Amino acid sequence: MTTMMTLPADIRYVRLASLAALKIAEIFTECINSKTGNEDFCHAFELAVSEAFTNSVLHAEPCEIEKTITISYCSNSHNLTTTVSDTNPPFAIVTPSLNISSYPEQGYGLFMIHQLMDTVSYTREDGFNRISMTKQYHMKEGNNP
Amino acid sequence: MIISEKLCNDITVISIKGTIDAKTAPELKKFDSASAADSPVVIDLSDVDFLDSSGLGALVGIARIKRDHGGNVTLACMNNKVRKVFEITQVYKLFDIYDDVEAATLNAVKK
Repeated sequence: MTTMMTLPADIRYVRLASLAALKIAEIFTECINSKTGNEDFCHAFELAVSEAFTNSVLHAEPCEIEKTITISYCSNSHNLTTTVSDTNPPFAIVTPSLNISSYPEQGYGLFMIHQLMDTVSYTREDGFNRISMTKQYHMKEGNNP
Repeated sequence: MIISEKLCNDITVISIKGTIDAKTAPELKKFDSASAADSPVVIDLSDVDFLDSSGLGALVGIARIKRDHGGNVTLACMNNKVRKVFEITQVYKLFDIYDDVEAATLNAVKK
């Protein structure tokens, strides 16, 4: 299964992006599990896409041409991968760390993505930044079809 | 997102309904509470259906401002999705968190 969605690089669309991620994750888990989707698994995609979409919007440089962000999903029998692509300037992805004792108001997004997903990768290709995030679906006891 | 405010046990309770993400978090940051800067506040999260890092940052910002003025923020009624965000970032360590507003306001009074 491959699904693709392209949205304006505008923060007004962030909830549309995250709700679509939630729904696709629910459908994925229902397909392989035949029961209601695993809440934690689906919430991880809802959150991760919200964070990645927000980062793309915040890093977009103002320009005359309306920029877009493309979110794609592909899956196999036990993994779901989402890739968030944009044409922003390239950036250096660093392993995030947090020091919450200073009450930081920013810097949680990438940290959360790494906590939520099994694999996170960044590539720059053909003028596109691509952040790919993969999570394995673990069949829980009693959830087998 | 809808933000409302009421008094409970003489403590200001701010209730948030809806989604707190990058689109709505600025509205939360700008919310002008009627409570004094140094008085305790309880934030009721029972009707928050989604919170991301932008929303988390807004709540941390409110807590920091309150703390700087000698007040404090107590959180109440997190659902599982909201709780998850606080857990994976460990931001729960910055707040007193209660399962219901009544307990949160009673605790806030004691401080």
